[in-house]
Amino acid sequence: MAEPRTDPAQLDALGAQGTFRARNRVAVTDVAGREVAELSLVPPVFVERTMKSLHRAASAAVDERISMIARAAELFSTAALGGQSVEEYEYLVSRVGGIPISEVRATTRAIAARLRKVHYSVEHARPAGSVTRWDDPLTRTGRAVWARRGSVFAVHAAGNHPGPHSLWPESLALGYRVAVRPSRREPFTPHRLITALRGAGFNNDQVVLLPTDHATADAVLRGADLGMVYGGEDVVRKYATHSSILPQGPGRSKILVTEEVDWRDHLDTIVDSVSGHGGTGCVNTTAILVEGDPTPLCEALAERLSSVPSLPPEDPRAVCPVQPVATAKGFEALLLHKAAGAKPWLGGDGIAEELGDGSAVLRPAIHQLDRPNAPQTSVELPFPCVWVAPWTHEAGLTPLRNSLVLTVMTHDTRLVDRLLEEPSISNVYVGDHRTYWMESGMPHDGYLAEFLMRCKSVIRD
Amino acid sequence: MPRASTEVLDLPVDVRPEPDVLIRAAMEWHFHPDTGSRFWLERAKTLPFDPRSDIRTHEDLRLFPNMAAELRDVPAEVLIPQGYGRRPDVVGVFESGGTTGAPKRVVLLRDWLERMLHWSNANLDAHGFPGGANWLGLVPTGPHIVGEYFRRSATTHGRHGFTVDLDPRWVKKLIAGGRGADADAYAEHLIDQAGLVLRTQDIGVLTITPPLLERLARRDDLAELVNEKVRAIRWGGTQLDPDSRYLYKTEVFPKTVLCGNYGSTMILGIAGERPDLPEDSGCVFDAYSPYVTFSVVDSQTLRPVAYGDRGRVLVHHVSKSFFLPNNLERDTAVRIEPLAGHVGDAVADIAPVETFEDEAVIEGVY
Repeated sequence: MAEPRTDPAQLDALGAQGTFRARNRVAVTDVAGREVAELSLVPPVFVERTMKSLHRAASAAVDERISMIARAAELFSTAALGGQSVEEYEYLVSRVGGIPISEVRATTRAIAARLRKVHYSVEHARPAGSVTRWDDPLTRTGRAVWARRGSVFAVHAAGNHPGPHSLWPESLALGYRVAVRPSRREPFTPHRLITALRGAGFNNDQVVLLPTDHATADAVLRGADLGMVYGGEDVVRKYATHSSILPQGPGRSKILVTEEVDWRDHLDTIVDSVSGHGGTGCVNTTAILVEGDPTPLCEALAERLSSVPSLPPEDPRAVCPVQPVATAKGFEALLLHKAAGAKPWLGGDGIAEELGDGSAVLRPAIHQLDRPNAPQTSVELPFPCVWVAPWTHEAGLTPLRNSLVLTVMTHDTRLVDRLLEEPSISNVYVGDHRTYWMESGMPHDGYLAEFLMRCKSVIRD
Repeated sequence: MPRASTEVLDLPVDVRPEPDVLIRAAMEWHFHPDTGSRFWLERAKTLPFDPRSDIRTHEDLRLFPNMAAELRDVPAEVLIPQGYGRRPDVVGVFESGGTTGAPKRVVLLRDWLERMLHWSNANLDAHGFPGGANWLGLVPTGPHIVGEYFRRSATTHGRHGFTVDLDPRWVKKLIAGGRGADADAYAEHLIDQAGLVLRTQDIGVLTITPPLLERLARRDDLAELVNEKVRAIRWGGTQLDPDSRYLYKTEVFPKTVLCGNYGSTMILGIAGERPDLPEDSGCVFDAYSPYVTFSVVDSQTLRPVAYGDRGRVLVHHVSKSFFLPNNLERDTAVRIEPLAGHVGDAVADIAPVETFEDEAVIEGVY
């Protein structure tokens, strides 16, 4: 286990002219409230000048971009960057984000793997009839050319988990210049990733890190052609009518088990879906709907999840996320409030278990609901927290709507047809698949490239 | 007991009175039945002391209650010291921003305006502002005293003053009402107008608020015009953070003098940026001591905080034209040692009174 540093690390802004250490810096604290880094926050005038530089900059040729991203994958996952080893990075993310260290380590590898296949991934999003260059011989007789919708892309990044940072580099692969505003909760991952991308050959004015306070955040989006924003329901509502902003909202992933399938054959998959990866992801299962009596499933889940250990996040055996006590108590209070009327199987007396250093483990919660359309099925919290409800064919699709991932364990192919046709369900996994299953080349919430690219007709003499 | 002479209230503009001598003269003037304002003569009856005999030093001003809130309701006439006679030389009646409720009113008299301007112009000279230049002002106009000071500074230190109408109360109302897009449009409208002046007129000095300076800098053509024509920028009204200040000085407007002021209607003028501060530091503001003095205090006890610590800004204004002690501003600042010979504190890193947002627990994972 890496030893914590004595001085707080300096996380400088990574601007178009190089690093910038602001006078305005905020402390980044670990789950025990101890300061581990200072993050430089840049003012609007810095943001605006940087965004202008991105617009003026050119992009490298496509094959060079792909090769640099692959090199960045190696640097990110193996090299000492700015004096920070991979182990130190992983330790900080674990301590600050409260994510189990084994999960952080796995994610380092997963991010590197996705970056190595970034061209493979984005090519899956390209409409089959299109070509990528106007001088492709096919355009002589008329052809669609896949083209960028803009040239500068801004990201308001997530801080719940390092994993989502494997997505936005697709925009670099497509030739965008990119500005990332990190989450103040966990700025280490984008800082390291952008440092790696620059080390691999991207210029300072091609990819930047712009930490800002809340008031300045909009300036990052305003300076870009297109943007992606991670957040809750409020963010989704705010940007619902903005065609240039792609909101990444709540996941509310679910599992449906119909009558002809015995959940006992899939208990590992169900348990993992709830609690795997620390249970903090948008692809972790929020609700399970079971045709028939959900009681035996609740009982089995409670038995499996009650025995998970309460450990600090940097312990290799840690499974559950950890947060500062005040935050953990806040989630606990919210859970208990939301759980009114539900039958608790686990976590009914609370889920925050203090570790004695100012942090608390967020332990699993399992609640049984008495009807499929109970409002709790959409209450998504950043720890293993699942709502189990009965389901009937009469209840239909309504309780399954608004799901990032729906794993359906059924033999009813007509039901699968209908689930696939439901617009508010983003991904449908049929059978024994964890809701957090992801693979390069597979869309997460649609392909990011669907948003970043469009087809243009080209014909020439 | 011999009464203090009030002659010291009329010293030439380039001579500063000894602080406690000024206090005693001002007490004699503002609380004498023949010369005091009806406002103060009325309130003196409720005071547990006699200002003319009991207030002897600058420190004694602390004994007065904070009367600033009453300036919301009183008729402006009663604020004028009767010693100015039947036809006082009133420049105008001005109002506070109105951020915290109904605006407070003050009366600006000619002799104080001249005194304040003399001091403020000397501060501009110390910063290297060019004399005789045309000025362009993007500052609040109408009832706001800053607009008057802009015009008078332009015509005394410079040549002509070009202005743009700016109503900050409407902007605040738009923002409070969630109409951010309308507030944006209004601000862009101001910049458009500034652009027309900058393009056609020979502007050497720009007076502007930091948010508008940021918008102006966003437009490449206007930033270029500023770099081409404008030799000095005077900012004020809201704060400029040290990082932005550094970037303006080194990257955005590297050839232009940048000088801040910290103004308030209740002090009937401004405090000026201390000259020769390093580029890398925040702004330190010195008040026009001994007429205008700051104390940086704990907002509960009203006792001074330590140098280098943050507290609320408490202001005294003591001149022939006006007396307002112990006005607790809505700003906080870091307490800085004053210049030699000054009473009160210098202030730095001004910020609005902190409001703590509860870290609400929000559903979701991001």
